[in-house]
Amino acid sequence: MDQIIQVAVLGIGLGGVFALMGSGLSLVFGVMRIVNLAHPSLIIGGAYIAYWGFKLYGIDPLIMLPVCAVILAVTGILFYKAFFERDAKSATYSEMTVLLTFAIAMIVEGALGAAFSNTQRVTSPVYATDAFFIGDVFIPKGQLYAGIVSIMIIGLLAAFLKYSRLGYAIRATTQNREAAALLGVNVNMVGLMSFAIGIGLAGAAGALTSFVFSFFPAKHWEWVAILMSLVVMGGMGSILGTVIAAFSLSIVAAFVGTWIGSTWSTMTFFLALFLVLLFRPQGLFGEKPELV
Amino acid sequence: MSDTMQETSAVLEARKAYNETLRIKADQSRATWFPITLMILLMALPLLQFTGNYNYMLHMVLLTASYVAMASSWNILGGFAGYISLGHNVFFCIGGYFAGMLVARYGWSGIALAPLAGLVAALFGYAIGLITLRVRGPSFIISSIALVMIARLLFDHWKFVGGANGVTLPPTELSVQWAKLPYYYAMLFIAAFTVWCSYKIKHSKFGLGLRAISKDEIKAEAAGIDTRFYKVTAFALSAFFVGMTGAVWGEYLTYIRPSIFLVILIAAYMVLMCILGGKGTIAGPVIGAILLTAFNEFFVATMGASELNILGTGVIMAVCLMFFPHGIVGTLARKGKLPKILNWD
Repeated sequence: MDQIIQVAVLGIGLGGVFALMGSGLSLVFGVMRIVNLAHPSLIIGGAYIAYWGFKLYGIDPLIMLPVCAVILAVTGILFYKAFFERDAKSATYSEMTVLLTFAIAMIVEGALGAAFSNTQRVTSPVYATDAFFIGDVFIPKGQLYAGIVSIMIIGLLAAFLKYSRLGYAIRATTQNREAAALLGVNVNMVGLMSFAIGIGLAGAAGALTSFVFSFFPAKHWEWVAILMSLVVMGGMGSILGTVIAAFSLSIVAAFVGTWIGSTWSTMTFFLALFLVLLFRPQGLFGEKPELV
Repeated sequence: MSDTMQETSAVLEARKAYNETLRIKADQSRATWFPITLMILLMALPLLQFTGNYNYMLHMVLLTASYVAMASSWNILGGFAGYISLGHNVFFCIGGYFAGMLVARYGWSGIALAPLAGLVAALFGYAIGLITLRVRGPSFIISSIALVMIARLLFDHWKFVGGANGVTLPPTELSVQWAKLPYYYAMLFIAAFTVWCSYKIKHSKFGLGLRAISKDEIKAEAAGIDTRFYKVTAFALSAFFVGMTGAVWGEYLTYIRPSIFLVILIAAYMVLMCILGGKGTIAGPVIGAILLTAFNEFFVATMGASELNILGTGVIMAVCLMFFPHGIVGTLARKGKLPKILNWD
């Protein structure tokens, strides 16, 4: 019994981080219909900022988190202006942008690799290797803090989407771009803002990632597939679905890792992706099968 | 009644005549002699070995030919049917491992096994296509990336095929001077065969159906095209040639390991070559493969870092997508400035 609780706790901790990683991706897809394959590479960019902040100035990654978020949000705005503002009406826009984000992912990976080499790195604040014990259940502090912060950020995001005016506009644009534009929503501005917020969330996730996982520039390909499995399973564009998928799959992955072998835990995500495609291509909360 | 019959036959007659003029016009603007001459020149290239050591040149042609085969093969699904796969190197891997294991265990010839390896890859392609082609657009692209990750995970931990360390294959017994020749001719033949097949496919009813799917799948379905069968067959076909290439490539390198086949850069090259040259054209992937291999070699020789190489590939891809989405051949053809020797369609 203790072991089951133990594994579930570890799964929930990781689930929080994956939920944060996936929610930015889901937001961007919902508003812009862009499948941002560059998202995980930008998360790694955020992780590097947190890493160097800790290494050079001893700043705690949790304090670096807003800095990472802001820097990445600005990067997001620049990328949006440079790559995605053009011909959003084109019929093949969503396919073209997937390839474009694929190219951006390679650019970011190549730039990070050239600058920092492909060695594995991890930020090591004191709590990263420390743990609490409740009875026999062992809770690593790093994952616990990362999970709590992720859930707080997702809560803030949800409140922002629910109560702020920009949040209304974002939700309206997600539901129906043309109708929102007709009702006076500046959809281009909303696209830009949601892109900035989404990439900013990638930066925040990067800061947390930097002490939860070890990372190197080429690692993002593995995360691409993991995050995409969350977004597809959640129903593309549904943040709630992404968060639920993140928690449930991470817990399953934790059990697979314990009982079958740690190399196979990531397989859970990939197989889940295929099963969802096979049986419910629109995902758990997806509403628009024609876009899937 | 007979009036309408007559009118219909008159219309059919007129259409036939029109098609005939189109055909003659296309034939006049086609320079079939160019690819044939190119092929003969490349076939004669190894004669240089009598005068000195040109192994590097042979290697470059071989490498380019392998990319020509893979890009043209990718083009069948990605260019004609419009389904962009970022996981086609999985079939490269399946072909390479299938032939490579038989070479390593039983000492068979990888070149002779290539068609069989292609068939195995095509079978896998068919089975995978049945699942992943249920979705289109972004979801399909995502599923193809997941496919690479699954294959990488499996091959990295599958003890039978050597795991991440792979398997060493017996080296060829030929002298250094002639060691590359069998692979050179095999790869050249596969490349030419792939290009020829993609031409034949484009000009068949099957190819027409694929192009209808890429324009508007729902309308194609409504027009009576069995879109599911067409898509899955296109997937299997495009896996076939990639699998053949993999079989020869593995034996040529004399070792097979997941990090040769299952790196995302190879999948990216297939896509990029087609986009650079022109998706959906016959000459496009060939030109893209030649340009990109040359660029790559130049880049590695002058800068030396594979990270910068990834960066450069990404930049070329982004520029291509944003400014020439139709690629070199496509853009020139649209402007009516396509030189005759590149008009292979």
